[in-house]
Amino acid sequence: MQPTHIAEYLAPIILFLPLAAAVVIALFVRDDDEQSAQFSIGSVGLAFVASVTLFLLGGGRHEIGATWLDVGGLQVSFGLLIDDLSLLMLMIVTGVGLLVQIFSKGYMKGDPGYSRYFAFLSLFTFSMLGIVLADNLVMMFVFWELVGLSSYLLISFWFHKPSAADAGKKAFLTNRVGDFGFLFGILLVWAATGTLNIGELATKLAVDPHLLGAGATCAGLLLFCGAIGKSAQFPLHVWLPDAMEGPTPVSALIHAATMVAAGVYMLCRLFFLLTPDALEVIAVIGAVTSFLAALMAFQQNDIKRILAYSTLSQLGYMVMAVGIGSPNAAMYHLTTHAFFKAMLFLGAGSVIHALHHEQDIWKMGGLKSRLPGTYRTFWIGTMALCGVWPFAGFFSKDAILSSALGNGAYCAFLIGTLVAAMTAFYMTRLVLVAFGGVPRGDGVFGCHESPSVMTRPLWLLAIPSVIAGFWGIDVYLAETLPGGHGHASTWYEAMFAPINHSPLAAMFGLLAVAFGHAFARRLYANAVSDPLPLSAGLLAKIMRDRFYFDEIYAFLIRISQGALSTVADWFDRWIIAGLFVRGVSGFTDLFGRALRMLQTGNLQTYAFWLAAGIVVILFLTLPGAKGAGH
Amino acid sequence: MNLLSAIFLVPLLAAVLIVPIPRTIRWGIRLVALMATFVSMVLGLALFVKFDAATAVNGFKFDYMTDWVSLPGIGLTIAYHVGVDGINLGLVVMGTIVAFAATCLSKEIDRFEKEYYILLLIMIGGILGAFVSLDIFFLYFFHELALVPTFIMIGIWGRGPDRNHATFKITLYLSLGALIALAGLVMLYLQSGLKTFDLVALTGHFQAHPMGEASQRLIFPLLMFGFGILVSLWPFHTWAPTGYAHAPTATAMLHAGVLKKFGLYGLLRIAIPMMPAGAAEWLGVLALLCLGNILYCGLVAMKQRDLNFLIGNSSVAHVGFIFLGIASLSLVGVTGAVVLMIAHGFLAALTFGLSGWLRQQTGTTEIAKFGGLLRQLPFVGTFLMIAMMAGCGLPGFGNFVGEFMVLFGSWQAYPVITGIAIWSALVIGGVYMLRAIRDVLHGQMDEQWKSLRDADVFRRVPVVILTVSLLLMGIFPRLLTDKIKPDVARIVASTKTGGMAKPTPSSPTKPVVNSHEVPKAHH
Repeated sequence: MQPTHIAEYLAPIILFLPLAAAVVIALFVRDDDEQSAQFSIGSVGLAFVASVTLFLLGGGRHEIGATWLDVGGLQVSFGLLIDDLSLLMLMIVTGVGLLVQIFSKGYMKGDPGYSRYFAFLSLFTFSMLGIVLADNLVMMFVFWELVGLSSYLLISFWFHKPSAADAGKKAFLTNRVGDFGFLFGILLVWAATGTLNIGELATKLAVDPHLLGAGATCAGLLLFCGAIGKSAQFPLHVWLPDAMEGPTPVSALIHAATMVAAGVYMLCRLFFLLTPDALEVIAVIGAVTSFLAALMAFQQNDIKRILAYSTLSQLGYMVMAVGIGSPNAAMYHLTTHAFFKAMLFLGAGSVIHALHHEQDIWKMGGLKSRLPGTYRTFWIGTMALCGVWPFAGFFSKDAILSSALGNGAYCAFLIGTLVAAMTAFYMTRLVLVAFGGVPRGDGVFGCHESPSVMTRPLWLLAIPSVIAGFWGIDVYLAETLPGGHGHASTWYEAMFAPINHSPLAAMFGLLAVAFGHAFARRLYANAVSDPLPLSAGLLAKIMRDRFYFDEIYAFLIRISQGALSTVADWFDRWIIAGLFVRGVSGFTDLFGRALRMLQTGNLQTYAFWLAAGIVVILFLTLPGAKGAGH
Repeated sequence: MNLLSAIFLVPLLAAVLIVPIPRTIRWGIRLVALMATFVSMVLGLALFVKFDAATAVNGFKFDYMTDWVSLPGIGLTIAYHVGVDGINLGLVVMGTIVAFAATCLSKEIDRFEKEYYILLLIMIGGILGAFVSLDIFFLYFFHELALVPTFIMIGIWGRGPDRNHATFKITLYLSLGALIALAGLVMLYLQSGLKTFDLVALTGHFQAHPMGEASQRLIFPLLMFGFGILVSLWPFHTWAPTGYAHAPTATAMLHAGVLKKFGLYGLLRIAIPMMPAGAAEWLGVLALLCLGNILYCGLVAMKQRDLNFLIGNSSVAHVGFIFLGIASLSLVGVTGAVVLMIAHGFLAALTFGLSGWLRQQTGTTEIAKFGGLLRQLPFVGTFLMIAMMAGCGLPGFGNFVGEFMVLFGSWQAYPVITGIAIWSALVIGGVYMLRAIRDVLHGQMDEQWKSLRDADVFRRVPVVILTVSLLLMGIFPRLLTDKIKPDVARIVASTKTGGMAKPTPSSPTKPVVNSHEVPKAHH
């Protein structure tokens, strides 16, 4: 296909710029820290500019590609699809990515792996953009795996630390379990429809809704497995908290704003494939994840882990939104969440940086005055995350709650409201303990605000965290994705639209926040230690120990795959290689002895035997040939 | 001289050339070997580039034939007949590249260099000769010519206290496999009554006049198991990890990477086209057995404490995917199998090359003794990691393309086995490969490795060449698939009708497998 529209020129450029940066850094400038950072930041910056240009030039659906593989019924193109959905996601990935990379320039200063870090970040950006732009399932899977790889590389970036190396491995393997379902699902879809192109699939399914046959729900749920892995949904959520072993900006970009959102994005892309039964399961998984993760966040003391569980919980929210039939609200929340959660993580990074890698919130305290810029942006992020009007999170969260009400998913609505209250609780706890009160750790006294290369990205992320609610993201998406209800035309209309549209949902949401906040304030204002373990006892311990999922999984793996491999290894060693081979060798003892005699290491002997063998073969075959000829 | 003949004759001539060089001039010996394999590799690449433009005779390009032995009294002729089509083109080219890489990495040899290089070049010449020959006599002869040096090299230059046992085991198995296959080939020859070993003539004959079903049912398993043993088909696989763990680096690279593919090639080139009814009867069994490779050997690999045994078992597991693709007898699956044969060759050479280097430097391959090597050995560590990632099916490498096609191609014929294979490819492969990275490259490094030096240029060049080959295959699979596809289509079509059917273009909704011809696996 020849490109005809400017989008078709720009899309490949956006995709390959970060890859080019990664290759250049790896091959040519890996010894030059400054240049490495420049290449990486420059490429993602250009990609961002190009994405915004595409957006300003106006929408429309464009597809461009070349045949990647074409054998029999299996046709796969290397194809890029540009539409409203991918355009929005492009801007999020490159925009947030740009700010995170700038922040990293300060945060990673002095690290011996500085160049490697930026090369990996560029590789990640490339892979993520690939998922966003993929126009067919196989390309999506290819980049899906590459995102898994770059996440692995970045989590275990400090690979000499055993905990980081283990965390990376765990993330990769847990994702692989999900990918098993994803690939299987792709296979089923291909077998039933004969195509892998997403647009073609949508057209075919629109003509014949029963094309996927009885396996439709199954195929949809298998594809959803991929999202369970990548978006860390229950029961494959265990890798995300451990992934906090990576550098903090990585957590901000990959494990909060973009990669983990890929699962939700994929569900929105393939929403047309999902049957009502499949959607129901998706809603349940999302709801369970958001509730469980919020509970687990209650008793974490590591600032990054609290944010990690919060991310899990919010991802569950988005998945639930898809499940109740409102991918529009899911993408909306994904967008706003990307801004404020990236900012919260970067804020946490700024705190950790200032405190020389102290992450325990009980060893912080009193940071409000010492890190004013970080505190203010963190406060904005918290407001947005909790869903306080008029911060961005309020609007997207309300979109989910109101569509739950509108679609009659009352359970989802209840859980959503409950989780909103819980979110307000644990975030208030975090802010009060870390920033409020008096200093409780030695590191706090000497600390000072991070350099401007780190605080500026925080402020730049604060802007959309405040105002992204009146941008009309839901209206923008309404043409592509079902579930939107926005008809507001001006920003001030948009500001009040939720309250006018579904006052019940808005009221419940705000009440929940107020309740959670008040409760946390009672417990944690000026607290020096966590009062909850005393009052809640065992429950608090279970929450702190994350409901023992890791232990249960370790046990399950040990008794299933582990046991199988032990048996296989034993069988291989003692039965096949032992009895069987010895048996064969005993049986052919003569043969073996002869061979040992032959094995003199003398070349002439070998040449002789080879020639002799040929003669014998010829001798044996020739009379037979005569016989067969007659 | 014919291009194909030159590709394998150059190494053989070089072996002769080395004979008069005094053994004290080690650099001279090495230079001759390096030059010869380099020339062979360049010729191989030229072959690849010129392939599409060449005219085809009987479906083969660069076809060259001349009588070698003619016994008019009994009417037997053995012809020297060479040619390539999509099936063996990639194998030949891959073989020349691996051969050059293996020769580069042979720098580790420090005794009897002269004998070593002579044997190495004979082995290389034999391998490449086997893959270009279109006469069964030469096909078999060249295979044996390559096999014998393999045994000797493991016996003399091999490492570890158990190398005699390993040599014994690999010799026993491979000779047994070759013997069973030989029995099958002789019976094929007798059945035809053509008094020729010419592959093209025999294939044409059996497609025009199919062999009796009873004979097919008898001869096919002989070839299947004979060839299967050569490729470490479960449960005849235990020679492979043991043999490779004790073999010198270059031998392991060449055998696991290239020579081993001979069995698969024979299955695809001889057994299936000549005995479609036998194939229909037995390929279901093959699909079940290959599950032993894919699942069982993968599980065994998870438990290995020695890096070489881990790689060896994973290599055996990967071979299972090739078997599965062949057993599917679908255009997509068999094409995938051919792609995977080539990718597996590069990958096996790469992993054995790197682990061999590691063993030579550290004197051990015990995983527990390593850890944190990535920082000390950035080059070797990075490429070992790349190899491990390619081995667990990461997109971007040829192995992913091959496995992906095999899985999609075998779904129709063997759904349950395919499902298990996906699990094995993604999860089990991931488990042992990531464990290897974690325990060898990541984590804390032991003090004793502080003095390790990273690879020199002789090790870097082959490693980079092999990696780039894998990447090219993974990123531009059509470089290969477009060349492979027509010839696979011919084989697949011939099994459908039993006659000289033309390849039928397949429609996407009707996958290529004809389910009543291929037995469903019994679950």
